[in-house]
Amino acid sequence: MQSKPNLGRRALVLVPYVWLAIFFLTPFLLVLAISLSSVRVGMPPYEPLYAWQGSLLSIRLNLENFIFVLGENTYLFAYLTSLKVAAISTALMLAIAYPLAYGIANCSPHSRSFLVFLVIVPFWSSMLIRVYAWMSILRNDGLLNSLLLHVGVISEPLRIMNTETAIYIGIVYTYLPFMVLPIYANLSAGDRTLIEAARDLGCSRMAAFWRVTFPLSLRGVAAGCALVFIPVIGEFVVPDLLGGADTQMIGRTIWIEFFNNRDWPVASAVTVLLLVILVIPIVLFQTRLSRTPT
Amino acid sequence: MQSYVSIENLSKSFGFFTAVDDVSIGIGKGEFFSLLGPSGCGKSTLLRMIAGFEAPTAGIVRLDGADVTAVPAHRRATNMMFQSYALFPHLSVGKNIAFGLQQDRLARGEIRQRVCEVAEKLQLSALLDRKPQQLSGGQRQRVALARALVKRPKVLLLDEPLGALDKNLRTETQYELVRLQRELGLTFIIVTHDQHEAMTVSSRIAIMRQGKVLQVGSPAEVYETPVSRYVAKFLGEANVFEGVAARRSGNELTIESAEAGGSVFAAATDNVSTSGRFWVSVRPERVELNKQGSGLEGVVEQFSYAGSGRHYRVRLKSGAMLDALRINLGSQDDLSVGDTVFASWMPRAARLLAE
Repeated sequence: MQSKPNLGRRALVLVPYVWLAIFFLTPFLLVLAISLSSVRVGMPPYEPLYAWQGSLLSIRLNLENFIFVLGENTYLFAYLTSLKVAAISTALMLAIAYPLAYGIANCSPHSRSFLVFLVIVPFWSSMLIRVYAWMSILRNDGLLNSLLLHVGVISEPLRIMNTETAIYIGIVYTYLPFMVLPIYANLSAGDRTLIEAARDLGCSRMAAFWRVTFPLSLRGVAAGCALVFIPVIGEFVVPDLLGGADTQMIGRTIWIEFFNNRDWPVASAVTVLLLVILVIPIVLFQTRLSRTPT
Repeated sequence: MQSYVSIENLSKSFGFFTAVDDVSIGIGKGEFFSLLGPSGCGKSTLLRMIAGFEAPTAGIVRLDGADVTAVPAHRRATNMMFQSYALFPHLSVGKNIAFGLQQDRLARGEIRQRVCEVAEKLQLSALLDRKPQQLSGGQRQRVALARALVKRPKVLLLDEPLGALDKNLRTETQYELVRLQRELGLTFIIVTHDQHEAMTVSSRIAIMRQGKVLQVGSPAEVYETPVSRYVAKFLGEANVFEGVAARRSGNELTIESAEAGGSVFAAATDNVSTSGRFWVSVRPERVELNKQGSGLEGVVEQFSYAGSGRHYRVRLKSGAMLDALRINLGSQDDLSVGDTVFASWMPRAARLLAE
């Protein structure tokens, strides 16, 4: 009789594992398998990994895709560009989100929930539509340039569209809430008497912020950084729509390999390597977080 | 004598609510002073104005002669021990204690020396590398105390410092606080709602209610000579009966009380007029209960054995209740529920109250 609730509990624990196995592990294993295959013309556009020769099973693993990807500068640059864009936009978002979250956390409870609502509002419309909106703002004859020309700040339209600047604007705009919310959650849960204690012990407002509030908010900062840095590396829509040909990020590279070149094995190899690159910062964040006290 | 901490006509309003209402108190150097009152009486707000966390709506705070009303908290020579302790969770015990000294930019050697000194005094030396969340409640309380004391403040402010401790540790810590305060010769101002705690630790107590100070005095003064029924009942227990008429003979008053159902005695006083409304107050431990004799007649309705004493509730003939406490000296109990008793007391055991 005692094993019954135990069984139920185990089944409950099993749910997330089954979920991850179906929706994460299986697709990844498929991609890994394709990355170890080679191109052929046909459908599917890659050689099967194994074949039966009579009663013998023959498995052919092809590592050439990885060797090719690692040896080509194009891919290396795409990885580096992605890392650079992710790092810079994460820093930009932190610089904007922290003061924003701090401001909201210091408002009265009533206006707080309204301001948090405003942060989330953009999610109510499709991201694609919002990026298109940015295109019409940033175009040479777009809203921004018309306004600046009309006011007379500039005499020639600024070229923002199809540059790296446009990518940063688009990415920072799209991902900012993911940075604001964890920092806000952390700051608003903070104990206000700690600030008073710091003030009582001789800290000015500024000193109390740097010695108490900021170090205690680092968990929120780390969570926010992880939430934006990792997806931005693989970002496809924003660089594709707002960026120029000179900024080749890895998401676009994978797309080109899959759909333009129809080279699924190489595209898969690029994807597997991206995952390896991403796993490193995730593990770093995780170990950092588990070490810092709550 | 010039007061070391001087609160002059201090008021604080939050919107339409007046938390502190025209309070004036002088506190001497080296005093252990208590602000005592129920929650919401304004005692914490008063303490926070002394610390500099709240700006008074009106009035002046003087510290060692100087007007500090406009001086912000971080520049005041006061330190506060918070009710929640407010220890910094990201810093070790040692760094928590050193926090204020680092902010004052003292030399490393001096900081270390002072931290070690105070840690030793409060038995924290072995815990300096721990984080606050690894400590017990009593240990946290001592760290909070050490962190405030290490700055050698002119005045240490303690906001319900023992509220989170269990009863036994609480009593022990009360004596520890008093010993520490004497040893250091510092001025302590403590906020508490626990009258027993205030009586145990303080040299003087200010009893507050609804933003006003009702009475200031030593524990004995406020207990023996309360100024009002409220003070008498707030500090310990008191039987209070309204009087109708009084006759004076020498140092004694004989008072007719319809509420008590007879005449009762009290010490004569010139401070209270017996022409208007007045009351008599007598402490339960001063009430004598006898099976025969004179006094107020009543029936024992309830009895509780409290270890150090036996508590009787007597229903008087007038219908009023009278509490009496017999100190437990080991003698046999000769009263039980339902017995008819006569309650009396020495005239000097009772006080006349004007309000």
